[in-house]
This record gives sequence, C-alpha cells and structure tokens, in this order.
Amino acid sequence: MKKRAVLFNLQLFTFLFLLSSCSSPALDDYSDVSYELIDQNGETVIFPDDFKGAPLLVGFIYTNCPDICSFITANIGKVYNELEDPGNTQFLLVTFDPERDTPEVLKSYADAFDMDKEPFRFLTGDPETIDSFMQRVSLRTQESYSRELENDERMYFLSHTDKILLIDQNSRLIFDYGGSMTPVSILIEDLNKL
Amino acid sequence: MKTAAASLLLFVLVMAGCSGETQESAESFEISGEGIQIEGAWARPASEGRMSAAYFLITNFEDQNDNLISVQSDVAQLVEIHESYELDNGMMGMREVPELEIPSQSTIRLEQGGLHIMLIQVTRTLADGETFELTLNFANHGEQIVEIPIRL
Ligand SMILES: [Cu+2]
Repeated sequence: MKKRAVLFNLQLFTFLFLLSSCSSPALDDYSDVSYELIDQNGETVIFPDDFKGAPLLVGFIYTNCPDICSFITANIGKVYNELEDPGNTQFLLVTFDPERDTPEVLKSYADAFDMDKEPFRFLTGDPETIDSFMQRVSLRTQESYSRELENDERMYFLSHTDKILLIDQNSRLIFDYGGSMTPVSILIEDLNKL
Repeated sequence: MKTAAASLLLFVLVMAGCSGETQESAESFEISGEGIQIEGAWARPASEGRMSAAYFLITNFEDQNDNLISVQSDVAQLVEIHESYELDNGMMGMREVPELEIPSQSTIRLEQGGLHIMLIQVTRTLADGETFELTLNFANHGEQIVEIPIRL
C-alpha cells in the first residue's frame, strides 16, 4: 500500500508539473478583444473574431530578422505541410514591427517562404493596435543594434520574445510556446488534440 | 513499477516539449580530411532588399587553430558573422561575432537559432533552388569560396 502511495504522488507531481509548466488549459481567453489588422493582400481582418470556429496557430515575427523569425515562419509552414488533416486550421504570422512590415513587405516575405497562400495569413496593423496586441500576448521587443548602410539607410534590429501561440476554436489560448525552438512534432501533436 | 516508469517517461517528454533542445556549437569527432572543410551549406530565400542567413559546418583539420575573420558576397550590401542568443530577460537577440575561432581538429556548427552568416539587404532575390557564392576569409587558411544553395 505504501508503495502505491509513493507512485501516486509521483504521478500527481507529474500532473502538477504539466499544469504549471506549459499546458494548463486556457491560459487566456481573447474573446474580449478585437484587433483590427491588415493581411498581406491589404484585407482587413479582426482578431480573434474572424478566426473563430477553427484552431489557430500564431507566430510572431519581424521580417528583418533572418534567423529566429525565419525559423518560426518556416516551422509554421512545416506544421501545415506535415499535418495529416489540417482541416480548417488557420496559420497566422503577426509582425511586431508594423512600421517597416507593411502589407507589401509581408507579401514578398510570405512569397519567399512559399506561404503567400491559404491557409497562411501575414498580419500587420497600425502601431497602437499592434502594441496592444503584443502587450496582451506578453511579447516584448527592444531595439538591439543598428547599421548604417552604403545607401545611407539605417538598418536596425530588434530583440524580442520568441513565441508561437496555439488558440482554440473559441479564441482561448491553449499553449504558449518558445517559438523557434519548439519541435514541429510537438506543435502537430497539440493541434491534433483540439 | 510499470506505473512509475510511465510517469517518468511522461516527465521527460514534457521537459523536451517545453524547453526545446539545448545545442552545442562546437564538438570534436574523428574524421579524416585536410585543411578547412565546409559542409551542409544552405541559405534562406529572400526577396531583393531583404535579409537572409547562411548556415554550414566548418571543420578545421589542421594542427593549428584558425579564425574565420570575415565573409564577403556580392549578393548582399553587408555580410556579417552573427549569433542569435538569449538575453538575460528571456528575449532573443542577435549580435555580431567579430571573429569565429575554429579550433584545431574540430567542427563549428552554424545553424538556425545560433551562429549564422547574416546577409543584410540582398542585392537580388534569392529564390528557392538557386545558389550564390560566399567568400570566407580565414586567418591562416586564407580565402575559401563556398557555393551556397538556397532552400526553405
Ligand atoms: Cu543575424
């Protein structure tokens, strides 16, 4: 009997660890917000209302970031390609650098990744809206360093939280991942549970 | 017993899921060759005026350490040796690495989320399936030209 209790405690510990570390159900509920954003084709979309009814995988990027953010973008592309049944799952890449990432810039970026097509949408917005959105999802950014280029342009880079979110059909946040380092297989596994 | 083993397995899986893999940027192993060898090169597609990053493994078979001191290419305004790293506050950032030491008989890995060759404002669209040239300048070994395939 005593041994049983120990085993049970171990399981309980595992369960609590699961809850506390990364997978507690509904970490947030975005039903109370309404962010007006613009996709790479210049179309207005409302987050989260326009995406209700389908699971949603959201990555946060800025297009002048070729390593970490490319990794996030490519991984989201891979999740779609490797999902056996993507169903009506939607995939969003939202920029936290709206001043430079205009719809046109996002479109050419999406095209370079072969993702300028359904079910991917690359979103930007006015800086205030993006700012509220980023605060709500706890995504922080700060300018890191800049370079003067030959054409007198100043190129600056951002440090940023590395993030992918999994949101369910009812606009509830189910998982909050470290974006670039989360294996595609884990994202697929979690999507399949929805 | 069976139950305990199952719980432990679950624990390990969860750990892997949350924290991702830890990565090493240098490792030693025994293979033969000579000089400096570049393997597994690739770069991200990018449209003209945008950014790309190139990745590869550098192995130094010499008895002496060497340093990658600069990289050039005519496909970008600026080419730098970079490293993505985690800041104290948990954010991800990028910084320039002035020189990259390649210890004798070892391999340095440039890979996503770590060391990379940063191509700032590419001068032409780098499309999936194409290639371009990078010139690597090593302190001892001199210039080495590498053909970089572009892929997703
Ligand atoms: Cu970089």
